[in-house]
Amino acid sequence: MSRRKFLETLGHSYLLYAFRFTPGAGTPTIHQDPSRDDTQDFECMSISPDIDFRDWIVFDENNNVTIFTGRTELGQGLKTVLTAIVTQGLEIPMERLTVMMGDTDLCPDDGPTTGSCATREVGWGFWLACMEIRNDMILRAARLSGLSAEEFEFRKGGISHKKNPGMIIKPTELSSGDVVLMTVNPHDVSPQGKEYTDLGLYNVNAKEIVTGTLKYVGDIKLPGMLYADWLTPPYYPQATSLVSADLEEARAIPGIKTVDVRRGRVVAISSRYQDVIKALNAAKTKWSRPKRPKELRVEEEIRERANLVEIKEQNGDVDMGLSNSFKTVSETYITHYTTWAQIETDTALAKSENSGNEVTVWASCQYPHKVKNLIARYLNISESSIHVVGMPVGGGFGGKIVSPVSQEAADLSRMVGAPVKLMYSRKNQYQLRGSYKMACVIDLTTGVATDGRILARKVDIYQDKGNGSTGTYAIPNVLTRLYQSRWPFARAISRGTSFVQTCFATESHVDMVAAAIGFDPFVFRRNNVRFPAFINLIDTCAEMIGYESNLPYPDEGIGTAICNHGGKQLGAVSAEVAVDRSTGNIKVKKICGAFDIGTVINRNTATVGIRGAIIWGLGYALSEKVKLDGHGCYTEYFSEYRIPRFSDIPPIEIVFLDNYNPGSPRGCGEMPMIPTIGAIANAVYKAIGVRFYSTPITPDRVREALQRT
Amino acid sequence: MAIEEFSLIVNGKKRKVRAGPDEPLLWILRDNLNLTGTKFGCGVGECGACTVIIDGLARRSCQVLVKYVSSGQEIITIEGIGTVNNLSPLQQAFIEHTAFCCGFCTPGMIMTATALLTINPNPSQDEIKDALNHNLCRCGSYLNILEAIESVVKKTALKGQ
Repeated sequence: MSRRKFLETLGHSYLLYAFRFTPGAGTPTIHQDPSRDDTQDFECMSISPDIDFRDWIVFDENNNVTIFTGRTELGQGLKTVLTAIVTQGLEIPMERLTVMMGDTDLCPDDGPTTGSCATREVGWGFWLACMEIRNDMILRAARLSGLSAEEFEFRKGGISHKKNPGMIIKPTELSSGDVVLMTVNPHDVSPQGKEYTDLGLYNVNAKEIVTGTLKYVGDIKLPGMLYADWLTPPYYPQATSLVSADLEEARAIPGIKTVDVRRGRVVAISSRYQDVIKALNAAKTKWSRPKRPKELRVEEEIRERANLVEIKEQNGDVDMGLSNSFKTVSETYITHYTTWAQIETDTALAKSENSGNEVTVWASCQYPHKVKNLIARYLNISESSIHVVGMPVGGGFGGKIVSPVSQEAADLSRMVGAPVKLMYSRKNQYQLRGSYKMACVIDLTTGVATDGRILARKVDIYQDKGNGSTGTYAIPNVLTRLYQSRWPFARAISRGTSFVQTCFATESHVDMVAAAIGFDPFVFRRNNVRFPAFINLIDTCAEMIGYESNLPYPDEGIGTAICNHGGKQLGAVSAEVAVDRSTGNIKVKKICGAFDIGTVINRNTATVGIRGAIIWGLGYALSEKVKLDGHGCYTEYFSEYRIPRFSDIPPIEIVFLDNYNPGSPRGCGEMPMIPTIGAIANAVYKAIGVRFYSTPITPDRVREALQRT
Repeated sequence: MAIEEFSLIVNGKKRKVRAGPDEPLLWILRDNLNLTGTKFGCGVGECGACTVIIDGLARRSCQVLVKYVSSGQEIITIEGIGTVNNLSPLQQAFIEHTAFCCGFCTPGMIMTATALLTINPNPSQDEIKDALNHNLCRCGSYLNILEAIESVVKKTALKGQ
């Protein structure tokens, strides 16, 4: 059903408010370089701030409210946040609100669900819109009645006369099919109307989630539906092509519908998923060897191929600052390749009708409108014939912003003339996207005065988009340069993109600079931060974890790190670790985090999300590492890519602060992950005196390092 | 592979299904019986998203062939634990502790925890962590899951006194 049809079903009795942000203030959208077909590489995506942001709030005759957003529920709790905001903003019970998300026919394109900005922009946008609506309705009531606006107030989703508060005038009685366009400024932190209070709603999908009745894409079944999956090429999919395929045996598998070569890959299709897997196992294929060496010399190759792409920060005279310093410390840090590893593999269901000229795709994705656009390009048909239904996502983390599986399912459905559910195997989830969170090389040189002030810092960041020095520390002389290079596989957008790698490096480095001049890292960090809000955060963390410079136990230590996520959110994390010298195991005993993230819309969903982000940091610091070389990725199983599990999880305490830029929500989905890595690395250094210059810090590496010392 | 008829006991009801004998129970539940609360995550028994209870034990349904559970074994899926209007104490606790983000691993977590509490109604925190150590949650909702399970243990202990 289209938006127009939806409104038609309401007859003339509705009142629709559409709002957009003041130009330039809205969510950046993703524009893609059309000359490059690589939909997974963030290099070919650029962010533009000029999206025509427009979300909708509709009041109908039955006094129900429906809101529309093109963003999707990833588990971050967006639906809960929107429910909390609109029910409170309009003073209506939850039963009267419907939240429509991610359906391209019904919902506006209001940008990708990424960058920790859905609550801050869509959520806060709805709150501001609700405040405007309250005023607008009062003015309407005054106009219609000829009375003064002062005599009316907004109550319970409608208007009442102050002297007769029991009688509520419904919104539709104030309008007959009016559409009101509004512009709201997301930087408006104290709009007229009400103050938002977190009432502690439980996740609004909770009952469906705990009973297994929330439908993800994989749970939808259509008549005549077939399963499909691709054969995993032995090399990076971008770096190889199919030379020959013997599919006789695969086609002989009973129940198989099709095994074929499609767009240079081998696909199997059957009504039973098990038959698909069997057929793919029986397919015999030869693939061209990638043209580059099998050996991947990560650091050397990153440096050799690098091109300077951007001077990210430049203040003062960095060389002069360094030469005037009492001491300088130069170090290089490296991070390893990691991946999303969502539990729900990439899945899409496509149904083509009218000889393939109309396609509906149920997608697990973070940006349905972009996916619709990409499907149109992939199939070379008009966007208007494509309908994407964004479903609840079983873990996105940046890996499902675009959804190649959606366009592939659409193509396969047109090919076989039946609904096709394309579901990646776990092996495909690791390998077929050919896209990884990049290894980065980060060179740092810092100069410091005898009194512990940082005078200068030079940072060269290879591969990350980079977040350098000035967001966190007050340093008079700064130079930060970004270098990029082409790579045999694509760079993934993944939780904390552009912050994770560099923050690990800079925060490890800060502790080494402190050590070089005999300062306690806690005191040193505190003395050099850029914003006073950081001091609060660091002190709060120290208090929570019971900071002591040296713990009374051998091989135990506490480390701290801080982060400024895009100028929106500040955070500090402290970690306490114990290192077992014989096994090399690092036991994280406790993590405390203090986060300056503005107004917390829903403490329940924010807390679990922040703990989860910290746990992502823990995995990145200690165990996550994709097995790959110059030709391909070889990770197939969870056992080969160790994401944190129950036995790894320490107690995690968090607090929310709101000092930095108070008054509105600022997002928190990624930031807590970022300083966690440096905090753990710093705690390990404190515990055993060994600095690890790369991630992940695995038990093998700890043992080796201890043997060397 | 010949399609045969199998007789299963799922959530207390006898169900007849037609399937190949080597088909994993996971796909029988999802495709033949439309019990889609049991999720596919890895297909090799590593993630726990497909956990069901068979004769009282938490089992990975992707690793259980249908022919081995068609002679009277009692199979319980998440749909047999409780419904939206009649939640089990553990399901209620998961809601109250927001023990999930995306929710994809949640049915498997609840099944493993339900089996644990049936066998051992008063587990220690370490016993809970051990029992659930092979249920993966990429969102990292582990502590909330632990708190939810512990709250049920505590309530049970109070009732027992």
